[in-house]
Amino acid sequence: MIEVEHLSKIYGSTQAIKDVTFRVEPGEILGLLGPNGAGKTTTMRILAGYLPATAGNATIAGFEVHTQPMQVRQRIGYLPESPPLYPEMTVEGYLNFVARLKGVNAGDRPQRLNAALTGCNLQDKRKVIIRKLSKGYKQRVGIAQAIVHNPPAIILDEPTVGLDPRQIIEVRNLIKSLADGDTTVILSTHILPEVSSICNRVAIIHQGEVVASGGLDNLMGQLTGGSTFDLEVAGNQAEIAAHLQNLPQIRSLEWLGHEFLPDHHHRLRISGDADQELGKAIATTLVNSGIGLYEMRRSGGNLEEVFLKLTTTELGASNLEETPLEEIPLATDLAEPEPAGDA
Amino acid sequence: MRIIFNNLLAIYRKELQGYFASPLAYVIAGVFWLLSGLFYAFILKSVVDYASQIGANAQQTGLPPQPVDVPYLVLQSFLAVMGSLSQVILPMLAMGLYAEERKRGTLELLATSPITNWVVALGKWLGVMTFYVTLLLPVMVYEAIVFDSANPPASVWIFLAGHLGLVLLAGSILSLGLFISSLTDSSILAAMLTFGLILLLWIVDLLGKTIGGPVGDVLSHLSLLKHYTDLSQGAVDSGGLVLFASYIFLGLFLTAQSIDAFRFQRS
Repeated sequence: MIEVEHLSKIYGSTQAIKDVTFRVEPGEILGLLGPNGAGKTTTMRILAGYLPATAGNATIAGFEVHTQPMQVRQRIGYLPESPPLYPEMTVEGYLNFVARLKGVNAGDRPQRLNAALTGCNLQDKRKVIIRKLSKGYKQRVGIAQAIVHNPPAIILDEPTVGLDPRQIIEVRNLIKSLADGDTTVILSTHILPEVSSICNRVAIIHQGEVVASGGLDNLMGQLTGGSTFDLEVAGNQAEIAAHLQNLPQIRSLEWLGHEFLPDHHHRLRISGDADQELGKAIATTLVNSGIGLYEMRRSGGNLEEVFLKLTTTELGASNLEETPLEEIPLATDLAEPEPAGDA
Repeated sequence: MRIIFNNLLAIYRKELQGYFASPLAYVIAGVFWLLSGLFYAFILKSVVDYASQIGANAQQTGLPPQPVDVPYLVLQSFLAVMGSLSQVILPMLAMGLYAEERKRGTLELLATSPITNWVVALGKWLGVMTFYVTLLLPVMVYEAIVFDSANPPASVWIFLAGHLGLVLLAGSILSLGLFISSLTDSSILAAMLTFGLILLLWIVDLLGKTIGGPVGDVLSHLSLLKHYTDLSQGAVDSGGLVLFASYIFLGLFLTAQSIDAFRFQRS
């Protein structure tokens, strides 16, 4: 449905995106994930036909975005970074105007308008002037604008920015419901849970390049490259390590610290090869050697870790401050826990 | 073709609705009607005074009075004033046409909708022209009332030609102002630049009048103001009409190009 091949865009001397390639099948939701300034908006603007690419091409529903712009424009709904609203219009008047622009027949217009208003939960705001709406409602009008002509492909640039948590859930449900049929959705976000909760595919963009793309489950497996377990154990660290290191399946062993745990309890992360049955071996070893095992769970299949892994390889830790990743337990940080000053 | 017409209608309607909701439009209309009404009253009074003075002079000297075409003199002076007044308000009408769309990000909506830049530009131009003609209508009504009661009645043709000139002059300035507005996202800057353009038109007109020779002829021919003056005196010539049409086309053409250039710059 949407195919992007080797797309590059250069602004002056800045390379905004470089050799971006991905594809989305009909009915899928693709999440473009990346830190701020990674090139998500540029990619979407090129897809929407707002910006030309410096190189490469992109097709939507079989039409090339530069050579057949009108055909593409008829088939997309696009929500830019800031919703393109006319503040002096009413919600209804605005959607009517957009429907006319997009070439919806006069006969279909009332029905399409109702569908968009209902979908975005805006029925009771239809007569309200857009200027008077709150930010969340404005964002919803922006989404309604993108779906009013029932396009086969929808491009949403950060659709949940500025919404409160309940509205975020509503909008996510709305986006999921859009893709129920054959509608294809591309959305960009820097919020990781958003991708895992609504997308079937993800493309991670970092410094203008796609560093990973694919189905969500697939990507996790590939990138974590093995199985990892987090454990809570009690006992002497050296002793525990000695017992576990006898196991041939184990590739690495990492102490994660012990704050908020009872005395002598420790957190431990063990990674091994994916094809070996690691869990059983660990549990057996620990129990047989009389070490207290209080918790054991699979980890590493977490999108945040994948994301962090991909986007930290080349950049310093300082760049990460822009992304909301504080909750991620970084092994190095936790090895020497701070005194509980900020707790 | 039907699609293009529907798109044009959509833009045109949106622009007109915008004027109803815009405080600026009401202020401009109010000031325009107030000033044009005052000027009209002054001009009418001074021309009538002038005519009665000539009548009085004739009685004193005993000679037959010089004939004075009062409606024509009123129309001449009034159209000159209206031309100047329009040149003040037109930059304000044109300034927001694209600059506001850029500022609000709605240009991104227009540019990603199945509608050409030409249609957007033409729809906006027709919208602002409609607003301007609406400003002129009441003024024309009170002119018509006076001219109708004149004896002998004023020539309808001169009246129509003069106002056609006013509309064409406004159309040219608005079309170029539309282009200037498409270059920036600041309305104020667009208004200032359009004023600058009008000053340039004055300079061209003055140079054309003063330097003479072939260069002067060319400048005179290019001068919008000269052709406006001709029309306001009832002299309709096809060269002038073509020139107005060319200015209008040039403005729309440059607007459509600038929107593309802005989006498609591959720098």
